[in-house]
Amino acid sequence: MFNLIRRDVILQKWQLLFFIPFILVFVIMGASPVLVFLVASIFIPFNTYAYDEKAETNILLNSLPYTRIEIIASRYLGAIFYMLLSIGVTSLALFIFNKPFTLTDIAIGSGLFLLFAAFTFPLFQIFKPGYITTVILISFILLSWAAQPIAQFITEHLTAITDFIASLSMTALYTGVTLIIMAIYLISWIITTSIYQRKVF
Amino acid sequence: MENIVELKNVTKKFKGFSVNNMNLQVKQGYVTGFIGANGAGKSTTIKMIMNLLRPDAGEINLFGLDYKKHEKAIKERIGFVYDGNVFFEGLNLKDIKRIVAPAYKHWDDKVFHQYIEKFELPINKSMKTFSKGMQMKASLAIALSHQAELIIMDEPTAGLDPIFRRELLNLLQELMIDGNRTIFFSTHITTDLDRIADYIAFMQNGELVFNQSIHDVAENYALVKGGLDLLDRDTEKAFVHVHRASTGFEALTKNIQAVKNTFGDTVVIERASLEDIMYYFKGGVQHV
Repeated sequence: MFNLIRRDVILQKWQLLFFIPFILVFVIMGASPVLVFLVASIFIPFNTYAYDEKAETNILLNSLPYTRIEIIASRYLGAIFYMLLSIGVTSLALFIFNKPFTLTDIAIGSGLFLLFAAFTFPLFQIFKPGYITTVILISFILLSWAAQPIAQFITEHLTAITDFIASLSMTALYTGVTLIIMAIYLISWIITTSIYQRKVF
Repeated sequence: MENIVELKNVTKKFKGFSVNNMNLQVKQGYVTGFIGANGAGKSTTIKMIMNLLRPDAGEINLFGLDYKKHEKAIKERIGFVYDGNVFFEGLNLKDIKRIVAPAYKHWDDKVFHQYIEKFELPINKSMKTFSKGMQMKASLAIALSHQAELIIMDEPTAGLDPIFRRELLNLLQELMIDGNRTIFFSTHITTDLDRIADYIAFMQNGELVFNQSIHDVAENYALVKGGLDLLDRDTEKAFVHVHRASTGFEALTKNIQAVKNTFGDTVVIERASLEDIMYYFKGGVQHV
């Protein structure tokens, strides 16, 4: 299964050349570290999906001695693996360009990435090839655009929730959010596996 | 004689098309040619054998194992070649090998490079620059480099020029010298099969019409030619399908002895080619 994760690097070696300048642009433009971590994490796993939405790729992978459970597991584990890798590279880039960032930035960036992955990975199996990348890109732009107003709306109008959150200690808050994100990621993993097992190529 | 692939009462239904109650055995150590018109259900059957499609009902066993428990062990022993390139087209053979090789326990780099050399394939050019014949050779090189016992090919000769087709058939023949190998391949170019197939499985409209040794096919089926006056409701029963022309009739029979008994010397009996058989079965179904 490790081979399936390693496959992404072989497939994307040319795209990876763009990876570093791509991140540097964000870093130099002074984007918020959270956004840089998020975008960097998305790069490799979602590029893989651009390949894997093709029917031929699925015929190939399923004709090789892999089970469908392993193929999906490699996507979910691979996403985490490449996220960690991207965080390393991004941190280095931020450090070199003397842009300050905190562990909280990394935590929020990777948390957002995992949530985004958890919501979109099952969609890749549902939508027809060719449309999905567009759907995901648009939803990503809409989400990042809408996130600010939504957060504002919640702070202004749903004070019960914000009060509750504010009343929690920092540790409890972080643990809680981490657990919720992990649970969502796992549920998404299970859903995607069950969809993929029923697929026809 | 052991069956390396076994389909028992396999049914798969699609909208407007289905494979019905299929029973198919592929014998170990032989070449089985899988024939049928376009849309007869050959690719569906091959996809079910590869576990890309699951049957609605029935059982599929390979090497005596089923996919539910032994998916990896089964695929480890299969080499596959599909009609059309399934490998990442942007990659060169070296990178494709890097992705495919670690999937197999018995991958043999030396064998792979021997085939690359033999097929004169460029290892550093991307797959999309390959001609159809080169893509086929590349698929074949990959399929043959992990000591597969069963080679499954879906229309390997489609779209290839006659020279390369013949080279491919010679190569397959060479492979069979090692008696452990089994080849199962679909084609609608039936002349390919006269050269190398030991068994012929013939599919028509989602059903397996027969699966016989090529010798039995030649012995059982024949073309019969004679005058129209010989035909009536009873004598026609001896035929799969009758083609009438003003000059006389031409028909396919699957019981030569019965034809001899009925018509004696009044008709001419000729050997039926696989193409004749496919043609008459197609006609037969349309008229019934």
